[in-house]
Amino acid sequence: MTAQEATFNRQTIEALQPIHSPPTTFWSKYMWSLDHKVIAKQYLWAGLLFLLVGGTLAMMIRWQWAFPGKPVPILGPTFLRSSGGVIGPALYMQLFTMHGLIMIFFAITPILIGAFGNFCIPLLIGARDMAFPWLNALSFWVFAFSQLLVIGSFFGDLGAAGAGWTTYPPLSTNIGTPGNGQTLMVAAVFFTGIASIMGGINYVTTVIRLRAPGMTYMRMPLMVWGQFLTAILNVLFVPVLGSAALLLLMDRVFGTQFFIAGAAAVKGGGDPILFQHLFWIFGHPEVYILILPAWGIVADLLAFFSRKPANWYKGTVHAMSAVTILSAVVYGHHMFQTGMNPLLGEGFTTLTLIISVPAEVLFLNWLRTIYKGSIRLTVPMLFALSMTFVFGLGGLTGLYLGANAPDIYLHDTMFVVGHFHFTMAAASFLASLAGIYFWYPKMFGRNMNQTLGKIHFWFSSIGITLVFGGQLLVGYAGQNRRLWNPFAYEVFKPLQPLNRWTSYCAFVLFAGQLLFVWNFIYSMSRGKKAEANPWAVGTLEWSIPSPPPVHNFDAIPVVVRGPHELSNPELERKLGRDWVGQAEVVASEEPGAVRTAARGAT
Amino acid sequence: MAAARGVIPYRPAAARGEDTAWLGMAIFLGSWAMMFASLFFAYGVLRLRQPGWPPAGTPPLPQVLPAVNTALLALNSLALQRALVAARRGEKSHVVAGLVQASLLGGAFVVLQVVLWTSLFKSGLALEDGSLAAVVYGLTGFHALHVLVGLVGLGLLLPAVLRGTLNAARNNRLRLWVMYWHFVAVVWLAMYLLIFVV
Repeated sequence: MTAQEATFNRQTIEALQPIHSPPTTFWSKYMWSLDHKVIAKQYLWAGLLFLLVGGTLAMMIRWQWAFPGKPVPILGPTFLRSSGGVIGPALYMQLFTMHGLIMIFFAITPILIGAFGNFCIPLLIGARDMAFPWLNALSFWVFAFSQLLVIGSFFGDLGAAGAGWTTYPPLSTNIGTPGNGQTLMVAAVFFTGIASIMGGINYVTTVIRLRAPGMTYMRMPLMVWGQFLTAILNVLFVPVLGSAALLLLMDRVFGTQFFIAGAAAVKGGGDPILFQHLFWIFGHPEVYILILPAWGIVADLLAFFSRKPANWYKGTVHAMSAVTILSAVVYGHHMFQTGMNPLLGEGFTTLTLIISVPAEVLFLNWLRTIYKGSIRLTVPMLFALSMTFVFGLGGLTGLYLGANAPDIYLHDTMFVVGHFHFTMAAASFLASLAGIYFWYPKMFGRNMNQTLGKIHFWFSSIGITLVFGGQLLVGYAGQNRRLWNPFAYEVFKPLQPLNRWTSYCAFVLFAGQLLFVWNFIYSMSRGKKAEANPWAVGTLEWSIPSPPPVHNFDAIPVVVRGPHELSNPELERKLGRDWVGQAEVVASEEPGAVRTAARGAT
Repeated sequence: MAAARGVIPYRPAAARGEDTAWLGMAIFLGSWAMMFASLFFAYGVLRLRQPGWPPAGTPPLPQVLPAVNTALLALNSLALQRALVAARRGEKSHVVAGLVQASLLGGAFVVLQVVLWTSLFKSGLALEDGSLAAVVYGLTGFHALHVLVGLVGLGLLLPAVLRGTLNAARNNRLRLWVMYWHFVAVVWLAMYLLIFVV
């Protein structure tokens, strides 16, 4: 880009994103705020709150697997008074159903996509706000409404939803789970889907249209790439989930028979397997929806705290894009057991295993990024490193399940549970925490306590590996998932000590999170005031004060280099520091030299 | 206008903002097309699972009403397109006429859909009657909701035209709603062909 073009674009973009006066009323500041940073915080709070709810449900499930039929301590006397604190089979079904749905749609999604997407995209690409601020606010409030429906489901006339997080018919129809708890939950999924689509439209448009001059696609931080690709997947595949939820709602509320077959149906009823198709056409992209933002965060953080450019930046971008495309054509591996044509099964196996190629490119790039780096073991870096580890475990166990022969043995065992918890839960969770520790100073203008953060890190990373590792082990031994009392079966009795040990690990993991809750809330008012750039990195959000003003940038920056321009010897000699801002023009730096340096970073 | 190297054609900021809104709308409609594609996929699966179609014991589907409705939505799209052209030329009365015509046509579509559902219901196809009933009532009902949303949109546009806030210079809202209506018409055409014709 010539200097002339840059100036011209800059004027147009300044005119396109005028600075508005900051909101003054309580309503426009905190409730219907159009500021992407406030909406991000709304999403963060909503997500963290439901993370706590989902985590509590998990503790009750773990209690059941350690001491089936025994009254639950602490929680039992409060929440399960009618049953004397004991978890019965019906309640157990509701526990794991609500745990799964809440964690995926109402905890991890709002944190990783709602909070980080909203907060980071405009700041990292040099925009003053999202492309559609009003739609952004609407998206959050539709999401909040869906959370209300989830809360309503807990008070359903026959209890909460209980058909499993996958909500397969016939179990999820009125025949399998009568009662409005299940109906409310299906409606909640539909509405959170609508919110996701609104968010997705906003993110895609923002990245395409509002990048600052000079912020080419190949200069975007990998975090933005992760969010961008996730938004594309959201826009394309959440509507498919929406259609499944819609048809199921029609079956439940109006009595149609899309998914009802057999004796209950007359005049040629519907087809329960149809739901599985719709669900997994969405469901497989969904696992990448949850992991792509995590990949983005981790890829950036590994570079920042190794004080090195990300290894083969373009390779990472292309690998992430390839995974995005491939994720759309592998859903059949969730349905090997549905009587699928074996030839089709082979096809899905092959496509699934092909995903491991770009995933390996990505993974090796991360490893080569930290290789020989000057690693700074800050709290975000520790979380990023442990995310790499658990994601590696999750990815490797995925190979067992993606190939149809071993899948037939492992299908519906705890191995599946362990696998998807390593990828979706552990990796996404640890990356979320890495992101929170990293952007907290920018979000709230204060630092979190690093010592507490490190203690929290050890609880989290070791705890999470042991808990889901335990699930993998009992699953490989054959223990089925979703059993109310696995040890009622003679064959699983020897697995009880391992289950109990895993439960103890889970309780410790949960207790360790209280440190985070304390640190998060305490630091908000009492933490050390944050400087503009506490981590000494060059992406755009660190070039403005912490917390940023409502309009983010006084002048829209003109970007001259890539996001990880760290430890460049020439710039280090000139500037006396090992980082340089993306929009920072170094005196006497030849334009050609900047380009070369940027290329060096890729 | 062929832009010489290094020269960017002049685009006022307002036009760029409108392009952004257009892009957002295009992405939304693409996303929503996936929703309808999934519904058609569901219909295809249900139909292929049956030994014959329509399933035994179901009354025949009406042929005239849906054909008339297809014509109504086609005329509606045409009227709206003419309104958009008129808006760009600043011919206020033509814009109003086009919007009123479109609203009447859209309203007539909804009324005829209700007639279609009741006549089908009276001829013995209840909601609970298997996959045919599910597809006919479910899919066309969901589509009709979109027509209603479109009518609300036209209702919001009319006052803006009369007040003059929607004029020759600023008519992007109309352009986006016209896009939406074209989308609704195309979806209906697919629905008509797939459910009532083949």
